[in-house]
Amino acid sequence: MSVAEAAGLAIPVRRRRLSIHFRPSRLVLNVVLVLVAIFWLVPTISLTVISFRPEGLFGISGWWTVLTAPSQLTIQNYETLLSTGFATGGILDSLVTTAAITVPATILVTVLSSLAAYSLVFGRWRGRTAVFLVIVALLVVPVQVALIPVAQLYDAFGNLTGLKLFGSLPGVIIFHVAFGLPFGVFLMRNFYTGIPKDLLEAGRIDGAGEWTLFRRVVMPLGLPAAASLAIFQFIWVWNDLLVGLVFLGGNPHHTLTIFLFSQTRTLAANYWVISTGAMISIIVPLAIFFSFQRYFVRGVLAGAVK
Amino acid sequence: MARVVLKDLTKRYAGGNLAVDRLNLEVADGEFVCLVGPSGCGKTTALRMIAGLEDISSGEVSIGDKVVNMLPPRDRDIALVFQSYALYPHMSVYDNMAFGLKLRKTPKADIERSVREAARILDLERFLDRKPGQLSGGQRQRVALGRAIVREPAVFLMDEPLSNLDAKLRVQTRAEIARLHQRLQATMIYVTHDQVEAMTMADRIAVISDGVLQQVGTPKQLYEEPCNRFVAGFIGSPSMNFVELKVQREDGMRLVCEGTQVVLDDAMAAQLRDLGLEAATVGVRPEHLRVGEPEGPGLRVSATVDVVEFLGNDALIHAAAEGRDVVAIVGADIHLAVGDAVILSAAPRHVYLFEPQSEMSLGAR
Ligand SMILES: Nc1ncnc2c1ncn2[C@@H]1O[C@H](COP(=O)(O)OP(=O)(O)O)[C@@H](O)[C@H]1O
Ligand SMILES: [Mg+2]
Repeated sequence: MSVAEAAGLAIPVRRRRLSIHFRPSRLVLNVVLVLVAIFWLVPTISLTVISFRPEGLFGISGWWTVLTAPSQLTIQNYETLLSTGFATGGILDSLVTTAAITVPATILVTVLSSLAAYSLVFGRWRGRTAVFLVIVALLVVPVQVALIPVAQLYDAFGNLTGLKLFGSLPGVIIFHVAFGLPFGVFLMRNFYTGIPKDLLEAGRIDGAGEWTLFRRVVMPLGLPAAASLAIFQFIWVWNDLLVGLVFLGGNPHHTLTIFLFSQTRTLAANYWVISTGAMISIIVPLAIFFSFQRYFVRGVLAGAVK
Repeated sequence: MARVVLKDLTKRYAGGNLAVDRLNLEVADGEFVCLVGPSGCGKTTALRMIAGLEDISSGEVSIGDKVVNMLPPRDRDIALVFQSYALYPHMSVYDNMAFGLKLRKTPKADIERSVREAARILDLERFLDRKPGQLSGGQRQRVALGRAIVREPAVFLMDEPLSNLDAKLRVQTRAEIARLHQRLQATMIYVTHDQVEAMTMADRIAVISDGVLQQVGTPKQLYEEPCNRFVAGFIGSPSMNFVELKVQREDGMRLVCEGTQVVLDDAMAAQLRDLGLEAATVGVRPEHLRVGEPEGPGLRVSATVDVVEFLGNDALIHAAAEGRDVVAIVGADIHLAVGDAVILSAAPRHVYLFEPQSEMSLGAR
């Protein structure tokens, strides 16, 4: 699903009656698509298979040998990895830490972006365009240049209030939210611009205030865009290494990416942990993706006007 | 129910564009008034100011003897039917109609009753569970009407509600709205660019051009006594023929130019003399022209037939009179062919005179 589709932009459904007359070309097309899909899936398949093979086989035979000898498959890697339970620094602890960062960061970005976009599109204050342009400009700020200033800001904030943001989960969450907002506002604003103003005016006449308009009219219509934003943000934060590494400094709880990364450092060939850990870490984003997919409904605005 | 009074209502948009210029209008309680005028003349802007969707630059809007300038739309006791319908696409037909009542915390049973009643009146009962996207244009239009009805507002505002319907449906819905008005006895302000709609439905019509109110009156008044050339040309279909004629004083008062002359009756002659005019714009409606020499005073045009459009009972004739196009409706029993020379005439009471500069009617009949 592309961004354009996810955002509900009009992509005409082409009724290709021609294809009826050219079945062979359609067959070729399907074969090519299947091949591309398989090619795309190979890394994932290999990772999956490796995670289910005994540790010792890694350097001896390739993962594809499983096709002829399926008996080599075992869940032993998972058992070993999960056996530590929720002990600090273990994989399950990392999973919880990552979720504790990602879920709030995603919800905050989606909700705040939607609210900001509502105000930018339907508000009646001056300088909306200027503010939006500034937000667009913020899109190009690289994460790296902000690391040190934000760390200092956190320090100063800590000295002032006694609340320690550096090294804490809220500190990481705030950083992710701040860096997710420009894109979020950008995406939501562009989507909301497509909602006819008449709808909001109809709502105002029906007696709705701004909050009701947002909750009952604009937000339901913006669901496809909000869903795609949530997915982008979720996957981005879930897979983040840099921000977590810097801002969790000193914290005994790690994110999943830090956990995986530390495996490569300590034992150069610890592939069974990496493949198994990677499998565990992609299950959540996959589940999120598939469960949000149903919100990618195109044509939600059908019948609003005319 | 309430009357609506507009006092010097003015809208100047940010760019300096004067969209509505000192509009004065009184709409009586229960009256059906049409604001009519060509596209871009400020009708929508005026309506939106009444609804409270547009800031008022200056002037006053009163609804039910209360000045509402500063009230938000929801406190004005109005309902607005949008040109685009503006239905909530994610809600069912039922919820679309019920939304306003829900926000007003109407008891559930009352909402149910109002919505079912409106659906019955508008023949929407079968569609209550559908989304707007699953409805035809005419059905969406009725949902938009239903959403207005259930609220039982003091004033109905409608902005070209029929303009997105095809011709047949438009005639049908026109009758439906007229019936609705009789049934509800509510004050209605209806905006349209289509003078036929205005003529058929309105108790009174307000003609607007370029943001300025031209004339207010019953359809009959506007048709028979247009106050200026604009109203004369706008009301009536096909529209009035106009020609500029010079005053000639030899052997009785006449207005002439090549191919056309008007022999003035005494009243008209006196009026022209009093004003000391040397020229006047003459107007005559196509339906008032007949084929043949005038009997006594009146208008006479000699022309060549260009186009004949057969309409069934009548025929529409386009004829060229010295380069000017003259349109006439004549009985279909009069056989005219393209290229025929024809004399068209009209009685003095059907000849309208306008002052050429101000284009105001001279009131001659
Ligand atoms: N939001 C706006 N900003 C500036 N000018 C506008 C705006 N809306 C309408 N206008 C202008 O005001 C005039 C009247 O518009 P409108 O009331 O929509 O006309 P109508 O409904 O009679 O077609 C037009 O010249 C139009 O271009
Ligand atoms: Mg309009």
